[in-house]
Amino acid sequence: MTEHLGEDAELYPLGILDDEAVRKVERHIALCSACAERVAQAQSVAASLAAALPAPAPSPALGRRLRDSIRPRPPAGILRASAFRFAVAAVIALALIGLSWQTLVLRGRLATEDLALVTMVHSHFNHVSMAPESANPVAAKILYARDGAWIYIIADKPGGPLHAIAKMATGRVDLGVLASAGETATLLFRPHERIRSIILRRAGTSVASATLAY
Amino acid sequence: MDDLVDDFIARRPSGLEKAYELWSRVFVGVARHSVSDRARAEDCVHDALIRVWRAPNRFQGNREMLKAYLIASVRNESFAMLRSQSRRDARELKAARLTPVETVDSIVDPVEAQRLQGALARLPEEQRKALALAYYGNKTHVEIAAELGVPLGTIKSRISMAMRKLQADLAGIGGSST
Repeated sequence: MTEHLGEDAELYPLGILDDEAVRKVERHIALCSACAERVAQAQSVAASLAAALPAPAPSPALGRRLRDSIRPRPPAGILRASAFRFAVAAVIALALIGLSWQTLVLRGRLATEDLALVTMVHSHFNHVSMAPESANPVAAKILYARDGAWIYIIADKPGGPLHAIAKMATGRVDLGVLASAGETATLLFRPHERIRSIILRRAGTSVASATLAY
Repeated sequence: MDDLVDDFIARRPSGLEKAYELWSRVFVGVARHSVSDRARAEDCVHDALIRVWRAPNRFQGNREMLKAYLIASVRNESFAMLRSQSRRDARELKAARLTPVETVDSIVDPVEAQRLQGALARLPEEQRKALALAYYGNKTHVEIAAELGVPLGTIKSRISMAMRKLQADLAGIGGSST
């Protein structure tokens, strides 16, 4: 691990560090609980500083945009709202993943992940099927950038919250719970270093795993 | 047990929706303090909230810590937007420093603002000035060092010390009031 953050811990929540310093802070606090605590305290102070700022009401459109970004929409709505985006998703899925995965796209979840789609459209990526583990495994695939910049996990019929754990050269990182949308669950993550393998856990039991080759 | 925090960490849409319902005004206020254009400021709020909601493993803590984490994310997103673009945005940043938000409905929390003013007033002058230029003046530590003619390391130390003193002061006031 690199040395502790020092004063950058207080500068970080003020938003005044440059991009490189911000990335360094975020990489460090993912692995160092002492600095993560120091940054959390500085964030509380920065939140107090915000108390003196004007508080204009947001436009109603902002609330709608946020809801649209996190709530899956039915496929018919997607086709009406963004036929191009849907077509891009279907072509990518059909060409690189196969017909069965296009079915997932048609169910709607993948096509609603705007951020994931934009990321994929601008990247070269690989994909791997996750090996089933346990008596009640989950079917899942991982799409991942060849340069290691992002991974996208898609699970079919998750059967409960799925927790993703990544193994990297410097140790394990908890990626959190896959976002569930009906019969599929997904997670897009941008690691700071290449992920070597992924394990999916459900209720504390490993249900799928995969090793990523770059 | 806090449903809001639990929902947010589990990435249930209700987690983000509740957080937005409670704190949307402070999010927009923080963004518009740096990005004067309303639509672009709201883009920053949207992008920051969606980014952290999709990576909740980075957050652990209680409701107040979640609020602080989200505010810091919006602040960083707002500055990142300005940094990522060139001269046009540099001009906008300059304008943002000069032009207050035109529709001020209220400050976020009058009681909290009063506590904050007291704590700021108790800081040594040089620390208060460095912190105020950074947060309320939207200036980087590099710009502040150049403006005040003080070494960069000194400015970083002053801001860091000011933040830590404020933290202790605000916590102390909170603990002693009955």
